Amino acid sequence: MPRLGIAFDRLGSLVAALALFAAFVLPFVTYRANRIVSGEPRLLLHALPTTMIVIVLAAVIGAAWVAVLIRRPSVRLIAAAVGLVVVAPAVGLSAGFVTPAGNSFARVSPASGFWLLVLAFGLLAADSLTRLRFGPWARLAALAVAAGAIALLLLSGAWHDLSLLKEYATRTDSFWREARHHVLLSLGSVLAAVIIGLPLGILCHRVRVVRVPMLQVLNILQTIPSIALFGMLMVPLGYLAANVPLAAAIGIRGIGTAPAFLALVLYALLPIVANTVVGLDQVPASVVDAARGMGMSRRQRLFQVKFPLALPVILTGIRIVLVQNLGLATVAALIGGGGLGTFVFQGIGQTAMDLVLLGAIPTVGLSFAAAVILDAIIELAGRAHS
Amino acid sequence: MIEIQNLSKRYDDTIVVDDVSMRMEEGSITVIVGTSGAGKSTLLRMINRLVEPSSGRVLIDGQDTMAVPEDELRHRIGYVIQGNGLFPHRTVAGNIATVPRLLGWEAKRIGQRVDELLQLFQLDPAEFAGKYPHELSGGQQQRVGVARALAARPALLLMDEPFGALDPVIRSKAQDDLLAIQRRLGTTVVLVTHDMEEAFRLGDKIAVMDEARLVQYGTAAELLTHPAEGFVERLVGTAERPFRLLSLTRVRDVVEPGTADGEPLDASIDLREALARMVWVGRDALPVLDSSGAMLGRVSIGGILAHGRQAP
Repeated sequence: MPRLGIAFDRLGSLVAALALFAAFVLPFVTYRANRIVSGEPRLLLHALPTTMIVIVLAAVIGAAWVAVLIRRPSVRLIAAAVGLVVVAPAVGLSAGFVTPAGNSFARVSPASGFWLLVLAFGLLAADSLTRLRFGPWARLAALAVAAGAIALLLLSGAWHDLSLLKEYATRTDSFWREARHHVLLSLGSVLAAVIIGLPLGILCHRVRVVRVPMLQVLNILQTIPSIALFGMLMVPLGYLAANVPLAAAIGIRGIGTAPAFLALVLYALLPIVANTVVGLDQVPASVVDAARGMGMSRRQRLFQVKFPLALPVILTGIRIVLVQNLGLATVAALIGGGGLGTFVFQGIGQTAMDLVLLGAIPTVGLSFAAAVILDAIIELAGRAHS
Repeated sequence: MIEIQNLSKRYDDTIVVDDVSMRMEEGSITVIVGTSGAGKSTLLRMINRLVEPSSGRVLIDGQDTMAVPEDELRHRIGYVIQGNGLFPHRTVAGNIATVPRLLGWEAKRIGQRVDELLQLFQLDPAEFAGKYPHELSGGQQQRVGVARALAARPALLLMDEPFGALDPVIRSKAQDDLLAIQRRLGTTVVLVTHDMEEAFRLGDKIAVMDEARLVQYGTAAELLTHPAEGFVERLVGTAERPFRLLSLTRVRDVVEPGTADGEPLDASIDLREALARMVWVGRDALPVLDSSGAMLGRVSIGGILAHGRQAP
């Protein structure tokens, strides 16, 4: 008997199962009478006007069908994108639909069903993007399209009635201030770590005796839990601020940005130094020998030969610490360092999950974008000669 | 002219090069041959001071190499290594331009020189100048490596196992190219190899090294007819010896008057090849033509064999 001409895609089947389970069994949104009381779950079927329910279900079932039966990654990507483009505004619409007219205390948040749908479509999109093997420029373009879509969603007001955006509306100024602070803290600490770490890496590469102790020290630093490191830095910095007027004048204090910045720099050092050493070490000996034999000085060999060849590996280190510090900077809020973590800790304190998300979601988005951008740069840097 | 005087290199207790003295003539190819670990690479690398000698000195055109700053010295000496050592992040043109750039040549002059060298090595500049090394075949990479070494017109070219990574067919072509280019440019070449065949084929003079010492230094014919006892004798190989000797002489030098039947031989081929041809076609003599096709005479098996005999 001939085999059936249908092949089920494994990941696709998982995605489809998740999406259908999320759409029919899990709550789409949570309704709460005010900001901090516990909420009541609403199924998708009760959370939207009928036409919207039909559209959302059509999108979910359609995407599930494509995920299971269609192999072409471009079609799968389109299905995932359509799913996201339908589900994301729908949750905003649902907020307006569920909230009784004129009630400004009630809060509606996306619930597990919505998040699982986003996860399922996100998986499908990520999988098809991988299979499409986009080049670096295409990946950057895809990132820009995704960012544009999110911006459009937020600016259109479609999510206006969601609790998350209500939290945002009441603290628009502080949100952007903390977001900017978060980015400056992360990028600044990575920049400082690069400025310190590259020479240290070159030193370790050149002077063998320095290498082992240096990497060991940085390794130990890396293993200190972030909260402990923040705490440990408060003492010496506080002492410095109290006893050195200049230090206090330029803003160094036991709590706040200074210890946060310093801790982030210390965390960033190991990957940068280690990758610089590995990158310089893996330059083929024959290439260095040829450079020496042609009369390149030590400095010329370093900057014209070794460094360009080590660059992709060094950039990989920078990518690691940038993503790491964008996340770690959240913890800085705990010692008054500011950043998006402020909302996370405020939210935990007030048991207001939407406030936590207001801090957490942009952090995840920033890390993700940083990873995509740096991956593209690394590929571009190494592409010419690999 | 290069003069090596009592040159030695020691690392702690090990002696790598032991009191070597030799002289390499202007415009000649000197091949340093020996087994691995014999110290031949170290000897070569002491000429451009990649390895600092423990004692002794190297004079290039009468000037002590220690009197010149090392980078400046190396700018004047071409250097080619096994596996070519091309810069993977630079294009073919960028690689060839390395030393001219270090010397601060103008961009236009560098461009002209790069094109000139690519043409010399039969690489079309339009096609190859912008390529990266990984886009080239092994043979092409090797040619770019030699072109890079010759870019600033050095009078001296050092080559450390330059053809070691090539397959036999490409290696043979690369050797022919080197000979042709060396004859044309008059560059003095010092080449290190462990391949005796290569030494006989390329070397105007051959230096044989064994266990850090220079055991014999002479022309190919001298090595074959009067090998130093022991190591050189073994290296030259008693079974191969007469054939190697034959390959040092050209057919045009042993032409006899008269004619013979069969497909004629080219006067420029060596006696070994001529002998092989005669054995293969089963004739005792063959006619000889010069490159223009004119009949020069004939060559006989007996005439050939006389050249493969031990010197009296």
